[in-house]
Amino acid sequence: MSGGYCFLFRQASSVAPVPVTWAHRGRGVHYFVTPLLSRVITFALVLASLLVLALPAWAENGATTKGVPNVVPPKGEHAGKHVEQPIEFPHDIHTKVNGINCMYCHTYARRSKVAGIPPTSKCMGCHSMIATDKPRIKQLTEYWEKREPVKWKKVHDVPDFVHFTHEKHLKRFVFDNEGMSVDRVSEVCAFCHGDLKQMTVANKVKPLNMGFCVRCHEANKGPFDCWKCHK
Amino acid sequence: MSGNGVNRRDFLKILGWSGVGVAVAGCDRPTTVTLEEGKEEVVAYLQPEEYVIPGVGVWFASTCQQCAAGCGVHGRVREGRVLKMEGNPDSSINYGKLCQMGQAGLQGHYNPDRIKKPLLRKGGSLTEVTWEEALGALEQKVGAASGLAGDRFAWFTGTVSGHQSVLLSAHLAALGSQHHFVHEVINNAVGRAVNLDMLGEAMPRYRLDEAKVILSFGSDFLGAGISPVYFSTAYAKFRTGSPRGVLIQVEPKMTLTGGNADLWVPIRPGTEGAFALGIANQLLKQGVDAAGVPENIRALIASHDAEKVASITGSSADRLARIATLLKERSPSLVLAGASVEGHAHGYSAAAAVMMLNMLLGNVGKTIVAGGSSPFPQMEAKMGGTRDLIAFADAADKKNLDVVFFYGANPVYTAPSHLGLTEKLKNIPFKVAFSNFPDETALSADLVLPVLSPYEDWGTHMGIYQPEQKVVSIQQPLMEPLYPNKGFGDLLLAFLKMRKVKEYESFTDYYSYLKNAFTALPATVKGGALTNDEFWGKTLQKGLLEVPTVVGTLKPRLVEINLPEYKEDAQRPFHLVPSGRLGLWDGRHANLPWLQEAPDQISKIVWTSWAEIHPATAARLGVEQGDFLRITSDQGALEAQVYIHKGIHIDAIAVPMGQGHEEYGRYAKGRGVNPLKIISPGADARTGELALYGTRVTAAAAGRREFLVKLSSNETQLGRKMVATVTADVFNRAEPKTIT
Ligand code: SF4
Repeated sequence: MSGGYCFLFRQASSVAPVPVTWAHRGRGVHYFVTPLLSRVITFALVLASLLVLALPAWAENGATTKGVPNVVPPKGEHAGKHVEQPIEFPHDIHTKVNGINCMYCHTYARRSKVAGIPPTSKCMGCHSMIATDKPRIKQLTEYWEKREPVKWKKVHDVPDFVHFTHEKHLKRFVFDNEGMSVDRVSEVCAFCHGDLKQMTVANKVKPLNMGFCVRCHEANKGPFDCWKCHK
Repeated sequence: MSGNGVNRRDFLKILGWSGVGVAVAGCDRPTTVTLEEGKEEVVAYLQPEEYVIPGVGVWFASTCQQCAAGCGVHGRVREGRVLKMEGNPDSSINYGKLCQMGQAGLQGHYNPDRIKKPLLRKGGSLTEVTWEEALGALEQKVGAASGLAGDRFAWFTGTVSGHQSVLLSAHLAALGSQHHFVHEVINNAVGRAVNLDMLGEAMPRYRLDEAKVILSFGSDFLGAGISPVYFSTAYAKFRTGSPRGVLIQVEPKMTLTGGNADLWVPIRPGTEGAFALGIANQLLKQGVDAAGVPENIRALIASHDAEKVASITGSSADRLARIATLLKERSPSLVLAGASVEGHAHGYSAAAAVMMLNMLLGNVGKTIVAGGSSPFPQMEAKMGGTRDLIAFADAADKKNLDVVFFYGANPVYTAPSHLGLTEKLKNIPFKVAFSNFPDETALSADLVLPVLSPYEDWGTHMGIYQPEQKVVSIQQPLMEPLYPNKGFGDLLLAFLKMRKVKEYESFTDYYSYLKNAFTALPATVKGGALTNDEFWGKTLQKGLLEVPTVVGTLKPRLVEINLPEYKEDAQRPFHLVPSGRLGLWDGRHANLPWLQEAPDQISKIVWTSWAEIHPATAARLGVEQGDFLRITSDQGALEAQVYIHKGIHIDAIAVPMGQGHEEYGRYAKGRGVNPLKIISPGADARTGELALYGTRVTAAAAGRREFLVKLSSNETQLGRKMVATVTADVFNRAEPKTIT
């Protein structure tokens, strides 16, 4: 049957539908994907992400943080419970020990409403060579070889009637924020996700309820119309 | 309040902000919504394409299959789910637009009543089985060892086209059968026959955009027509041209197109042919050249003077003359015939009389021009009608069939009772339904094979009406299958492999068959210097392939017109109008809640059937809106709530098609009535198509009443000027020449 491909988990395969455009239909430029162009774009993107994200992180490794400028961080605590994950992913090793920028893996955060869980292919980009003997990496490699996606447990979520977008928040707090540099993005992420440098698997430490959002919007002059979040 | 120095605006502001205060206080409570950590799963991609960004939609081109028009679509896919359909701007059928049925198709895909596993009749009832068992049972009955051959096997389908049609024909050929019954209730089969005889081409190109006046006899080209979106675009051009086109609609019940007309003329059902001859009579009187008209037809026209026609049709003599004048003076015009003309025992002759007007008016070659043909006739749509339904019932009755495959049609629902199809089907030992839903036909089958939904499957299609540019439209899956079922094309291949192993063994699946078929096309069709993979990728990306279209020439000629005398029926004084509508269509969309909820364009009624009658008729019958009316033909009776509307002839009772399902899932089952069931026997004399509009009925109050659920329960604007109007006087002064 024609089921060799799969939208959700699919591997690069020629038995696959071809999309019309890269970008949103009717919004902005349409990038028509041809096999060659797509490869060039991929290459360029990888290069750019390394330059933009990774290099400054190396350059400023060990720099002390002084708080995010022009922002009043939201207040509120939540005693989240520990969530068992299929693989006990250590955020601390990646972010604190190795100084990897959050957006290197959660690359969609600046481009979409969701931050996205990195695809397994991204993990394997490093871990086909790095730390291959560690039990957790062996577990990961097993998933990869079986071509099976990892089913992570959701830790942070808002109800379906709340339209939260990572892209807009990163724009306001990082990219359009004078005096803020992208290598310190983890401090912005921490507003809602807590300090991942201190965690292995993510743990919910902020309430993420409407009061939490609204107070931050008030303090930072965010939009206040109901329909901004409740579409 | 203004006395306190607080005006209304300030008051609302204060209220708003204090409201926020209250809300904020409340919103700090721990949320009770199911956001508990670790409850839901979030599945990461294994290895996404570069264009995949979670949260951002990616559009894929495909083809709409909600009707046979074959509009090109774009589907938005996000996180592996198809979420929204839009029109494909590259399609020369729909130019980026989509109708409500196309939008609602997703509800078929995600429908909770979808059949998830094959069903096999065991000991009288349908039981879930595995695909292996289902295909095993099928191989026994139709495989090479079964001995089944010749016309004892049949396919019964709706309109099919593209490579599915090619494989289906190959399957019939492999079994040596000629039996491909193609059935559509909403069709233009009689019109096609008229066109073929009078123009030399079944589907010519109607240039609405070139016409200055359109006289339409019940042609609902904006609604339940052959290509609603295509004609809506053409109609917009017609309306925005200079001078603005004038539409006159002559029909027994106001259709969506009729609702848009400048002049809507009610007509006694079945007398449209006489009306057309009446117009011809006026045209000749006004000096239109009739040199090429043979003597017998000229005599027929001469016998239809205005007074006689007025008395037959229930219109006025004066009106006929004015319409004729307008047609003559604003050339070119276009005269069309639709279902209400064709659906009679004399449907062919009536439609021929209508087409003759185009010839008299010199429209042929101007607003009716030759359509194109493609180099792939085998892929063009096989269009059906109701003649094949009659033929199929007959074959079943005579026990001429051993195995029948149903696909894209639900004859048990659409067949009038007089065909006795339910009983006759019992004569066919093995019936297979390729259906996603437990519809009436599927549930009377012996084996139900749930095929993939149109949003999960591969295919190619050619719309039934594409007169300018022929395109082969691609159907791509817009998401992975919801249930582990099989594609229709894959099944066709599997059946062919049962018989013709050698020819088909190289195709591992339908995808590879399609890719092979496309890449093997000659360079003239492919165009450009692309490699096979590039060409295939580009075609999928665009969603369609434009193929060379050869435009022929029309060969106009007149045919015999035999119109019977109109007869009153004292016993059954009313005519039943089983109207089609853009929405539920012929009933195939009754299981889509969006379309049930979308109000009928004329009556605004939702979720049920109704009996539409004129206020004078309501007075005559002593019923009010909401009363149940019992409508009885020689084939049975049905009861529906009265809807009173001036847009219907006083002798007509319209009951829309689409409801009255006995099966077909939770949204369709047991809702309203099916007017097709009480249609009287009778077929068009020339084409053998069912006379769907030829049923006489009686009507009487059924003695019960319910609230009629409809949008905008008031027919007036209550003086609010929501739609600005001018008097005919003012309008006439503004327009140089018009009609009243
Ligand atoms: S006209 Fe037919 S094919 Fe076109 S969008 Fe509507 S349902 Fe789909």
